[in-house]
Amino acid sequence: MKNIFFAFFITMALTLGFANVSKAQSEDDLVEICGMIAGDATFLKDFRIRLDAGDPPPIQRFSVILRKGIKYRFSVCNSKDYEGKVVLQLLDNNRLLATTYIVATGTDYPSIEYVCTRTGAYHLFFNFRDGKPGLAVGLLSLVETM
Amino acid sequence: MHKNLIFIISIALLTTSSCRFFDSNRNMSREEFDIPDELLDEKPLEIASEVIDEMIQNVSSPVETAALIKGLNIPFNRDYIAPTQLDKNLNTSFQKAIGLGIYGAGLGYINMYERTSLVINYITTIKTLADGIQVGQFFDFSTLNRIATNKENLDSLMLISQQSFNRIDNYLRETNRPQLSIVIVAGIWIEGLYISTRVAQDARNPRINEIIGEQKVTMNTLMLLLNNYKYDASVAALIKDMEELQELYRDVRITYEYGDPVSVEKDGVLTFQQNDTQTIHMSDETLEKIIEKVQSIRNGLLQV
Repeated sequence: MKNIFFAFFITMALTLGFANVSKAQSEDDLVEICGMIAGDATFLKDFRIRLDAGDPPPIQRFSVILRKGIKYRFSVCNSKDYEGKVVLQLLDNNRLLATTYIVATGTDYPSIEYVCTRTGAYHLFFNFRDGKPGLAVGLLSLVETM
Repeated sequence: MHKNLIFIISIALLTTSSCRFFDSNRNMSREEFDIPDELLDEKPLEIASEVIDEMIQNVSSPVETAALIKGLNIPFNRDYIAPTQLDKNLNTSFQKAIGLGIYGAGLGYINMYERTSLVINYITTIKTLADGIQVGQFFDFSTLNRIATNKENLDSLMLISQQSFNRIDNYLRETNRPQLSIVIVAGIWIEGLYISTRVAQDARNPRINEIIGEQKVTMNTLMLLLNNYKYDASVAALIKDMEELQELYRDVRITYEYGDPVSVEKDGVLTFQQNDTQTIHMSDETLEKIIEKVQSIRNGLLQV
């Protein structure tokens, strides 16, 4: 009987232990992971994206000032706890200037770079592919001046 | 963008027109309409926090200014940044918040040039000012101190500095002190521009003049933010000074030519090259006046 209790105790401890190890990723965790993806670029801002499922896919929007003469890096990082794969689009009014997902090739880039030649306000649109629910972080960092 | 601008302008107009109406007809309005007292307060109509968030994002980071200056091969100059002993002149919440912004921008400049020997004094001053408005707990002083002392990863120094400021900003807005958050942003913007003007005087580089001229774009956003809190006497005084600067910026004209961006993938890195061009039209006389005004505002804030 004692053995049964002992086995039960060990099983529970291991289960709870593992549950603790594989705890949900917080937005701060994602910022840290995304920082690794961004590599040696200088951190500027983070954008936290949390969207429900939807058709058409819901969009979370931010605006940001980019400055002439700077090469920026946009990095994205998805939470493993959700299905959604985030797509970042950089727009200037109605023009799509850059994206992390190239529809034609189906290629997803964890980070892209953007060489800015005009100081001004730009828009960042984030959505999750196929309208799946998701949690993600986008990071804006400075690579170099041109 | 246009929708947002229209929304912001509508809110600003609404705020102005409604305040004028109630100021000039307060007694009549009370008698003729059943208006709750809270609507007659001096406080302005509040802009939604989401809009404020977005507008704050539109005032660029001091790190970018420092990077642009460094990119022009202009050497580090300690005289460009505020001496740490000036923090003793900053006593009110407004002064501490503006100081946080000014020293925060200076920290960005120091970090960019990797002058770790100056970092410790700067973060000590920033911590003192942050404590003065009860946000010191968000400034990761011990980690920053350790990184600076041991000359550890300087990217981490930059990351933690930026994140500390982001947390302070969030907390101030959560605790109904958003005006201090905007004042910090104003301090960062003014000091970034101040450093640029000092560089412009010493380096005589056309690109630095352009960097000063293009701040017209962000100044308009900053003024909208400040005007939302003009009920605060200190903010109102800053607005008055800034309006004189804004008036000078009216003589700066920026024109654009738009081109299609081009993407190139190299070594697995996808890079988009923008092909727009911007031209800043600013006379030497206007530049001189802007330089003089910026330095006067900044030195006035620090009581130099």
